[in-house]
Parts: sequence; C-alpha cells; structure tokens
Amino acid sequence: MLGKRHFKKTLTKPFHKLFESLRVRSIQFFISSSIMLITLTAMLFVGLMLYSKFNKSAEQNAIISTRQVIDQVNLNLDYYLRSMMEISDSLNDLIGYKQDIDENRLVERMNVVLDTRKDIVSLCIFSRDGGIVAGSPSYKMKDVNITIQDWFSEPVNEPANLYFSSPHVQNIFESQHNWVVSLSREVTYYKDNKKKLGVLLVDMNFSSLDQLCQKARLGKKGYIYLVDPSGNIVYHPQQQLINAGLKSENVEEVMNHISGIYFDKFNGQNRMITIQTVNFCRWRIVGIAYMDEIVTTKKEIGVFIFWTFLFGTVFVIFISAFLSAKISQPIKALEKSMKKVEEGLLDINIDVKGEAEVAKLASTYKMMLTRIRSLMDQIVLEQESKRNAEFEVLQSQINPHFLYNTLNSVVRMVESGKKEDAITMITSLSKLFRISISRGRNIITIQEELEHANHYLTIQQIRYKNKFQFEIQSQDAVLQCKTIKLILQPIIENAIYHGIEHMVDDGYIKVTAEVSDGKLLLQVSDNGAGIRSEVLENILSVRPENREGRGVGVKNVHDRIQLYYGKEYGLEFESEVDVGTTVRIRLPYTAETVVREVRNEDSGKTA
Amino acid sequence: MKTAARLPSLVLLITILFCMNGCQKNINIEGTTKNIALIVRMNNGYYWGSVKLGADAAANEFSVNVRCTAPEDEEDVEGQIRLVNSELDQKVDALILAASDYNALVEVTERASDMHIPVIIIDSEVNTDKINSYIATDNYSAGIKAGNQLIKILGGSGREAKVGIMNFVKGTRNAEQREEGLLKAISGHSGIKVVAKEYCSSDKKLAFELTQKMIRENSDISAIVALNAISSEGVAEAVSQMDLAGKVNIIAFDSTPNEIDYMEKGVIQVLITQNPFNMGYLSVKSAVEAINGTSISKYYDTGSEIINKDNMYLPENQRLLFPFIK
Repeated sequence: MLGKRHFKKTLTKPFHKLFESLRVRSIQFFISSSIMLITLTAMLFVGLMLYSKFNKSAEQNAIISTRQVIDQVNLNLDYYLRSMMEISDSLNDLIGYKQDIDENRLVERMNVVLDTRKDIVSLCIFSRDGGIVAGSPSYKMKDVNITIQDWFSEPVNEPANLYFSSPHVQNIFESQHNWVVSLSREVTYYKDNKKKLGVLLVDMNFSSLDQLCQKARLGKKGYIYLVDPSGNIVYHPQQQLINAGLKSENVEEVMNHISGIYFDKFNGQNRMITIQTVNFCRWRIVGIAYMDEIVTTKKEIGVFIFWTFLFGTVFVIFISAFLSAKISQPIKALEKSMKKVEEGLLDINIDVKGEAEVAKLASTYKMMLTRIRSLMDQIVLEQESKRNAEFEVLQSQINPHFLYNTLNSVVRMVESGKKEDAITMITSLSKLFRISISRGRNIITIQEELEHANHYLTIQQIRYKNKFQFEIQSQDAVLQCKTIKLILQPIIENAIYHGIEHMVDDGYIKVTAEVSDGKLLLQVSDNGAGIRSEVLENILSVRPENREGRGVGVKNVHDRIQLYYGKEYGLEFESEVDVGTTVRIRLPYTAETVVREVRNEDSGKTA
Repeated sequence: MKTAARLPSLVLLITILFCMNGCQKNINIEGTTKNIALIVRMNNGYYWGSVKLGADAAANEFSVNVRCTAPEDEEDVEGQIRLVNSELDQKVDALILAASDYNALVEVTERASDMHIPVIIIDSEVNTDKINSYIATDNYSAGIKAGNQLIKILGGSGREAKVGIMNFVKGTRNAEQREEGLLKAISGHSGIKVVAKEYCSSDKKLAFELTQKMIRENSDISAIVALNAISSEGVAEAVSQMDLAGKVNIIAFDSTPNEIDYMEKGVIQVLITQNPFNMGYLSVKSAVEAINGTSISKYYDTGSEIINKDNMYLPENQRLLFPFIK
C-alpha cells in the first residue's frame, strides 16, 4: 500500500511540478522557460545544421561511390582491352617479317597465349577471302561467309584502325556459341613469297566482362550499360527488355557527354547518370543511379533527427521542470513560512533545505526570528518587573508603618504640648505626601525630589528627637532636571534605620545633587554603622527573603532606574563599617529628561 | 529528496527507450521487402533459366525478393500443387505460377486468390478467372507462325506434302493452342496433309523413337512440326541420325543450344522462339504492381520470334538465342 502510494507520488510529482512551472511570472516558470528556450533553439539549430550537412555529404557520397564503381569498371574494361591489344600486337609482330610465315610456329605461339590467358577464346588469322590461315584452338569452321561479318569487314574498310566489336556471339566455328568481344585488324603476311593481306582476330570471352558489369551495382536498383560511339547499346543488363521495347534508355542525352555526371528525369524517375568513356574502343560506360535511393538516406536522417529532437524536447521539458522546481521550491517554502510569520505565528519552525544560498537565507531568517522572540520575551519580563516596582513605589508612597509612626509622634507632641513641633511635622507630612502623589505623575523634578527628601528627613529628625543632623546641597543647574520619583527616600530611610538608629553619637546625613562626568549624580552620605562588605556585595543583586530586611527599597530604586534609563545608570555603594556609607545615584543629565516609556506614564496615571 | 534525485535518471531512461523504439520503427520500415514466389514447371533448362533471369532483373529493379522453385520434372503436377500450397502457407505477397496442368492447378490458384494474394500466371494458362494477370506467349499465334513457316518451306500453296506433328503432353494448354494455331494456318492449304500426330510426354527419348516410327511409317513425309523444346530435340536427333537432314524439314519450338546446333547443321529449318526473359521480368513487375494496388492488364503477350539460319546472328536475336545463364 505504502509502496503503491509512493510509486504514485513519484509518478504524479513530475507532472505536478510541470504544471506548477507553467504558472507565469514565477521563478520556476522563468527558469524552466529559459532553459527550454535556449536548449530547444540550440537543438533546432544543430539539428538543421546536421540535416543539411548530412544531406550534402550523402549526396556527395553517392556521387563519389558511383564514380568509383564506374572507374573500377572502366579500369577493368581498359585492362581487358589493353591485354587484347597486346596479344594482337605481339602476333602482328610475329607475322610481320618479310618472309613466309611459319604456320606451326604461329599456332604454337597462339596455343601458349591461349593456355596462359583463359579469357581469350580464340586467335585466328584469315586471308582476305575469308579462309583461315592459322588459328587456335583448331575448331572446325562453319560454312558461313565471314567476310560480311563486322569484325572482318570493318578493318578491311579502314585498314589503319584496330576494330573493337560489340559483344556478340562468335559465328565462325561449329558448336561454339561464345559471347565474345572481338579485336580485329588488317595484317600483311607473306606466303609463297608473296605479300598478302589478311585479318587478325582476337576473341575475348565476354562473360567475365558481363559479370563485371552485372556486379557493378549502383545502389539497389542502379545499373551500368555500355554504348558504342555511334549510339548503339552494346551491353545492357536488360538487353532483351530493350529489344522488346519494354525498356528504353535516353541514349541521345548520353551521347552529348564524354564523361561526367548529370541528372535527368526519365520515365518519371529522377536519376543520376555518370558517364565514363573507355580508352581504345571509345565505349561509354553509363551508370544509372536512382535518386530516390539517395533520398531514402536523406529521409532516414530526417526521421532520425526528428525523433531525436522530439525526445530531446520531452527530456528538456522534464529536466527544466525538475531543475526549476529544485531551485524555486526552497524559496517558495521560505516564502510560505514568512507569510505565516506575517500572520503572527512567531513560533513556527523554519526547516528549509536547499541550495547553499537559500539555506543561508533561511538560517539567517531563523536567527532573526529567534532574536525577535527573545527580545519580546525580554520586554514582557521587563514590563512585569516594572509593574512590580511601580507597585512597590505605590506602597512606599503611602507607607502605613511610616504614617502610623509619624501620626503617633504627632499625637504625643500634641499631648505634651509641643505645638510648634507638631505643626512642623504635620506640615512636612502633608508636603511629603503631596510630592509623593504629585498628581499621579511618575516623573518629577530634582527640586521636588530634594524637597521630598527634605520633608522626610525633617519628620524623621523630629521623631528621632534630633538624634541626627542633615544637610541638603544642590547645584542650581540640576534642579529642573527630571527624575523618576521617590528614589532618595528609600535610601535615606535605609541610612536612618540601619546607619544612624543604633549610633551612640549624633548622626549626620548629607544629600547632594550635582553634575558629574555628564551625568546627574545624587549622593546620600551618612556617618552611621556602615555595611559589611559581604552584605554590600549582594545588596543590589539578591532579593532578600525577608521583605522587611535591609535594602529592599534600595534594590527597588536601583531596578527602577535601570529599567527607565538603562544599565549604565543606577546605585553605587561605598561603605566602611563604623565610618559611614555613601550611596551614589547616577541618572542621565538632560535639561528635560525624556521619558522613554510613555505607556508606563499612563499606567502610573491610572494607579 | 531522494526521489527527486532519481527523477532525471528516470526521464533519461524513458527518453532512451523511446529513442530506441523510434530507431526500431525505422528499421522495420526498411525491412518490409515483399516476397514473391515464382513456381515454374522445371528446375533446369534454358527456357526456365531465362525466366529466372528476367525475374531476377525485375526483383533487383523493384527491390523485392523472388524465390524460385519447381518440381522435379514437368509432369509432376502433384509436386507443383504441393509447392504452391507450401508457398501460400508461408504467406507470400504474390504468387507467380507456370502451371503444369490446365485443370489440376485451378484449386490452388483459387486458394491464393481467396487469400487475397495476387496471382500471376505465366507461360501456360490455368482454367480459372481468379487471377490477376496472364503473361505468356500467344501460343495460338505462335502455332499460326509455325504453320505459315511450314507452308513457306514446303514451297507455297498447292504443293502436295505430308507432315507430322510431334506434340508434348496431352491436356497441356500450350500444346493444344499451338496445335490449333498450326492446324488453322494450314487448313487453307489442301495439299498439306497431317499424316501423323504423336505425344512424347516431354520425353526426348520417346520423341526420338516416335519420330523414327513416324518416318518409317510415312517414308514420304516432308516436314515435322515439333511443338516444344524437348520434342524438337528428339525429332531433330532422329532425323539427323537417319541422315534425312534437309529432306525431312523440321519446324521446332524454343531455342536450346542443341536446337541451335541442329539449325546450323541444317537439320532444323525454323525455330519459333518465345521470350522467357521478358516473361519472367514482366511477371515480377506485374506482381509488384498488383501488390501495390495498381491495376494491371489481364493479359500480356510476350511474343514469339521466327528464327532461321539467316537471322539467327542478328544482334537482336543473339540475346534471345544465347542467354547468359550461369
């Protein structure tokens, strides 16, 4: 089942890809169409080139091979005719002496020639009246008048020439019907001391020449025929068809050429005609080759190229679809996951594999997403701690414990009649709260913050019955700077409860505000108990278990400053046991300290 | 990913297979050479050799295969029927038949026709219409030619003369037609009387003996007409042996080397020759045309020639009388 589905998948996949690639304007479409266009153009070009080239060479080859065949036939004919001439010449030399011919010697000589040359049928010398003078082999002559036969009459009429007859059946001897080519010439010989004229005949077997011509095939249908100088067909493989008028040859056209190639259309067939002329006898060898056989090769090549092109096209379509899919698929996958991110799904897993570039893109994108995710987490965390800090600020704004203690002190003062002190305390308390609340604003000026510290210290001073003295100094330049509120009070509170309260001597607290190294520096110094170094180390990092414990408010101040203004700001402690502690608060120094978190201000308003 | 990597090789494989298929097709187109069966009456002899030669020439020209078969001898009718049937069983594309018997081969001929195989009958007729073409010597007119030559040799009309006829196989269509033609030609010449008629069953020895008997019985016989090659040779041999050359004239059919020898020796006066090469050539040509669906003529006369001592060496007759047969 699984295998089947898998098989189906592998089958449908390429088609699916194919259709996908047809979507216009996609990368895939662009890649596959350009690959196809380039490859198909190249294939078409090469195909056409090859076709025309092959055609040309096929034709050329046909012409060359035809010519070779004809040349071969010519060479063979030439060889046969030349050997006949040589034999004829040697016999002529033998009888040419000015003395009576020695018949026995002559016949002996003829026998030697016949023994060595199987293709020579007969050698004879005839007198002018047709009687045989000498001859081999010694067949019995027929009772016919040989003087009227062509081979005899021609050389007699034209004594200077050698006469080559057409192939014919020799009609001299009884029971001999050999097809021969005859070479005859007029000769002079001496008999009884008289100069006489005669005819020397060399007969060569034609069957070997016939076979030669039969075997010389030009293609399947092509053939060779011979024409003598006067235009008679001396040899044709289908002589009888020609005699019966079933076949004809365009001999007139052939007679216009001595050698060469021409093309004609004869009996509805296109033919290539190759002509060569044989030496000595001046016969023309005519080679007939049919063009449709040459065209067959052309057709085959055409069909072959067509098929190759067709399957090449199919192949290229598949390959280009595959290639373009391979390139564009990862990009598409990446695009898909980006879309999901766009929809807000930050938590998706981007697993795109592909070529190096795309993979790198994917991994970079993945890294970016991770970073965004962690940033968002961080923001959420920060918001949470800010809210916590806000809450604690609110708590310190209306610290019930402080309020109770203060009011209790006021009551005692009123009871003991310290009217002035009570008024001062109540006034300070009211001013303290006014600044604390500050109409819900989270940001106040340094001046207000210092005032708040002043009121707080005043209240505490009265409560602690002037157990400590305090001093507040500030540069004028910093007074209008902005700060988050209630950052001095927890530190001062810390200094009183943990530094001054248990002191035997008088305490002293000094609060300053100045500009230092381009930053706003607030300092709270006391001469109290100091902080042990192991406590000091952890004072800003560890949140103590005990909420009432030392440094809760201090850490809250530090965290708030850092949340608002960044890591470079915050608290710094310097303390020595039994000498005192100095807390430095660094804030950004700007005339109008910009609030980074607008939203935070809003939440502060509602609180 | 793995399947994706396999994809191009798959495509390549398919493409190669398709290509091979295409090539195969091309080869197949080349390989549809038509097969033509040529069944003649005898395996040897100049006559049938020439038929084969002509058939081969046409086979070359039209690019077809011609397979030539024949029974052992001319009278083996059963053997020829067997041959025809075996060729038909092999689903040849066309059948060329030189029938040994006018009636016996009707059935197989019609069987071929029923199988939609074109049938070309050569040389001698078969008694059926279900053939595509009949290519042969017009035997009747050849008979007339023989008759006219006979009259000429015997010195024209009016002269009294006794003649004998040496026929070959009784019931053979050719023999009957030649005889009919011969008798028609001499029918107007009351002086010429047919005094003897024999059938030699295409047996040379029998022809020889029958001729001797014929001459013994009719000592004043002045001519014998022999209606085929074998009977002609037998007759010529008998006349030659009885030293009656020139006294008993012979008009013979066909042109075997022996007959030509006898003609040069003056034993045979006239030869009526057929044109077996053309017969073979035309039969194959017609068969090819029939296969291709071209309409062909129902009958073609390949003609007959009158050969005597004077014209036998003319160039146009040399090929006829002395074919190149290997």
